[in-house]
Amino acid sequence: MPLTLESLDVLQGEPDWLGERRRGALATYERLPNPSKTDEEWRRTDISGLNTAQFSELEHKNGSRLDVSSLPRGVILEPLRVAAEKHAQLVEPLLFSLIKSDRDRFTALHAAFFTGGTFLYVPDGVEIKEPIVAQHASHAGGTAFLPHTLIVAGRGARFHYLDEYIGQDDEPAAYRSGSAEIFVGEGAEVGYVAVQKWGRNAWHFGDQRARLGKDSKLRLFSVTLGGRFSKTRVEGSLVGQGADAELKSIYLASGKQFFDFHTLQDHQVGNTRSDLLFKGALQDTARTVYAGLIRIEKGAARSDAYQANRNLVLSDHAKATSIPMLEIDNNDVRCTHGATVGPVDPQQMFYLRSRGIPEQTAKRMLVQGFFGDVLDRIPFDHARSLIEAELEKRLG
Amino acid sequence: MATIPTQIDVGTDYKEKYGFFVPEEYIFKAKRGLNPEIVKEISFMKKEPEWMLNMRLKSLEIFRKKPMPTWGADLSVIDFENIFYYLKASDKQSTSWEDLPPDIKKTYDRLGVPEAERKFLAGVSAQYESEVVYHSLHEELSKKGVIFTDTDSALRDHPELFKEYFGTIIPPGDNKFAALNTAVWSGGSFIYVPKGVRVDIPLQAYFRINAENMGQFERTLIICDEGSFVHYIEGCTAPIYTTDSLHSAVVEIIVKTDARCRYTTIQNWSTNVFNLVTKRALAYQDATMEWVDGNLGSQITMKYPSVYLMEPGAKGDVLSVAFAGKGQHQDAGGKMIHVAPNTTSTITSKSISKGGGRTSYRGHIKMYPGANNSKSFVKCDALLLDDESRSDTYPYNDVDAENVTLGHEATVSKVSDEQLFYLMSRGITRSEAETMIVNGFIEPFTKELPLEYAVELNRLIQLEMEGSVG
Repeated sequence: MPLTLESLDVLQGEPDWLGERRRGALATYERLPNPSKTDEEWRRTDISGLNTAQFSELEHKNGSRLDVSSLPRGVILEPLRVAAEKHAQLVEPLLFSLIKSDRDRFTALHAAFFTGGTFLYVPDGVEIKEPIVAQHASHAGGTAFLPHTLIVAGRGARFHYLDEYIGQDDEPAAYRSGSAEIFVGEGAEVGYVAVQKWGRNAWHFGDQRARLGKDSKLRLFSVTLGGRFSKTRVEGSLVGQGADAELKSIYLASGKQFFDFHTLQDHQVGNTRSDLLFKGALQDTARTVYAGLIRIEKGAARSDAYQANRNLVLSDHAKATSIPMLEIDNNDVRCTHGATVGPVDPQQMFYLRSRGIPEQTAKRMLVQGFFGDVLDRIPFDHARSLIEAELEKRLG
Repeated sequence: MATIPTQIDVGTDYKEKYGFFVPEEYIFKAKRGLNPEIVKEISFMKKEPEWMLNMRLKSLEIFRKKPMPTWGADLSVIDFENIFYYLKASDKQSTSWEDLPPDIKKTYDRLGVPEAERKFLAGVSAQYESEVVYHSLHEELSKKGVIFTDTDSALRDHPELFKEYFGTIIPPGDNKFAALNTAVWSGGSFIYVPKGVRVDIPLQAYFRINAENMGQFERTLIICDEGSFVHYIEGCTAPIYTTDSLHSAVVEIIVKTDARCRYTTIQNWSTNVFNLVTKRALAYQDATMEWVDGNLGSQITMKYPSVYLMEPGAKGDVLSVAFAGKGQHQDAGGKMIHVAPNTTSTITSKSISKGGGRTSYRGHIKMYPGANNSKSFVKCDALLLDDESRSDTYPYNDVDAENVTLGHEATVSKVSDEQLFYLMSRGITRSEAETMIVNGFIEPFTKELPLEYAVELNRLIQLEMEGSVG
């Protein structure tokens, strides 16, 4: 039983405009073919084992758990489906305006059937000290669970937000996505962290896409640990002068996991800065694909863009593919990118072993060291301790 | 103020700047267009064996079937039916400079061939139009058993060697333009270096396209036997014409155990030429293949010299420079295909865009299963001289081998204000300062060239830069 129009019936109590959109997205989903191997984005990404028709039951019809003590006046924090009704004037124009539902089959499916997820609106000038934590936990295998986050930061707003996607490793195969649209207003400063730790049998498709206004700053940190298959797109559009996007990521792939990352740093105007660093460690027979693009548009003078992907390949049978791309249409810029794929440095290993450290421990230390510089860029402590603990557990 | 001597310009007005535009005078000129009859006629005129005719006809079929590439530059404007596929400028191969027809000689005089020869050339195989008309081989080389001839003569004089390798490295089905070349090829160089022979002086051939709408489909085959060494240099210059020309060459190279081959190109076609070239080398055990590739002219260039690293210890190198001015798109790069373990490769690309030109680096590093312990490093630097120009980097890396190291680095920048300020504060004009900086930028490339080419390249850059910046 695939997801169909009838599956939408369970999503009661939504405003008409949303139902309309869901039906539109479902039609798109049914119309679009599966991405083909000749499509550059999917050339190295094998989805032949995925049968979306297998996952018919939706999880979390009423939104995810939100962990927040007290919020400043004017801040709206609601499950997205509730906000669609209560704050339609804010949600309707923005929802799926950054992540277009017709981009591919999986974004269409996501837009048609998203259930959990959060709407956060922080008005102009408001600062939230405590990080906002949203936990999206799946409770059963075999289901579809597609949480969607919509974040709107007003002028000069400041806050931190964490999306944690949680599943059990022994759950049967499941369909998951976790996407976030982030609007960063003029002069706002937003820290956003997503930690994907779905079960090891899950298929995950996620989009994290931000739009940065004038003089705004986004520190995005994306962690991928779970899923048998995980495809994540991290994209930042810099549309206002002085915008600054930091896009960082770590991933740890083991067993037979396959991770795919596509990133975009889209400098639409000048005097903007983006800094991207994706670091991954691969074990066993894991495979990863990274493809990133820096695009500097014609008028975007004095842009500064940096893009790097570093892969530490810990096993002879793990494979990392890295494709960093540039499209530069303005000369008054500074763009640098780099990619590396390589094993543990044998000299470092020798050094540690010669001091009596067992090989496994030495390897773990080297991996932790490898991740060290990027872990420093996690925007807030709560997320950092969570990620470090998670890494410790998985590397142990 | 240093005075810049008046020199030839590239790609803007050859008649004025180069001062030559030799009237066409042909012995045989096939009709425009592409069909089996033309192919048969070419083969007949060349008195080729039947297997070659059959291969040409089969390749024509493949060419017809293959779609145009949908990636890279826009090639839709090429009209294959409006091209001459074969011209023969004189019916007899000249063996010495004196025997050359005077107008051809005049053209080469302008290009400076004899001077280069007087200096230290061993053999010159200068291609005028589709066939090699001037050819001399140093006595010493023939004594060592080195064969350096045009490809048509090689088919006649060394049929077995020829048949063993021709079309084995780049089969006609490889891509649409390789198929086209195999169907209508004419001219090019053939080099065989026997075991253990080192050719210390570079072998060179000059190329020119000189007839309107004439395609040039030369075919080069180089075989370096075990432990040998050769450096081949090809340089191209062409006068400008009003309608588009197509240049689609195929270069096949085999570098056997312990051998080393270096292939240097200075490509300077006029800015209406479509330059679509397939270059590939196979490197065997502990062999080294080096492509030194400079692309200055043409309207569109699509060229990705590749090395297949076939056996352990093989090493591949690509050093590439591209310069794109107004209306030009240089889509160049390199490919390294690691088939065997313990192989290494490097690609260094330097590109300069100005006046709305576009340079794209497009590369592919492939490490097949089993190509373990291999290493590859790619470095791309791009310089954008104004805000109309564009630069892209598309490196594709596919690693299926174990314990490999792969690195890629790229930067895109403009001429730095600090460097300019430094030079200008010492009384150097802005334009001269920029030229110096650009010449410095491509220095890793120029220093790999023989002196006369390095000088020529620097002069060309100087001309391209003149009045273009500020």
